[in-house]
Amino acid sequence: MKNRLRVLRTERRWFQAELAEKLDVSRQTINAIETGKYSPSLPLAFQNRWSVRTAN
Amino acid sequence: MATHCSRAAPIVPILFGLRTLSSSLNQMDELQRRIQLNAIAFAAGTTGMITVTYGFLENAGFPHLLLFSWIWIFPMLIAIWGINLPIIGWRYR
Repeated sequence: MKNRLRVLRTERRWFQAELAEKLDVSRQTINAIETGKYSPSLPLAFQNRWSVRTAN
Repeated sequence: MATHCSRAAPIVPILFGLRTLSSSLNQMDELQRRIQLNAIAFAAGTTGMITVTYGFLENAGFPHLLLFSWIWIFPMLIAIWGINLPIIGWRYR
């Protein structure tokens, strides 16, 4: 599934490992989501949204 | 009695190993669990298919394998699981 996670992540200058730690998942998961090879479950997708949004 | 117990002693570390496996699966995130599930399901299916197929072939006249005892079925499962894991994980790179 296409998403803008990489764009949003690089805007905030976060590494994949940092975002993975915030969301309590592995770096492999973040990479797979960004490259569109994995569609996260709904709970993880919502967690994603909050962690990226509230970082403002 | 003592020799029988000592020959069955490897069962104890196997039980600890199962407990480690269970706790590590609980700690994994969703993608890793999915990869593990695919790998172990494929390993179980392949092991089952190999053993059942050779069982039928033995009935059809193939030689009975003297060196292959029951004890090798579980290592076969684990080996196929281990080999399969990076192959399936590679798909998500």
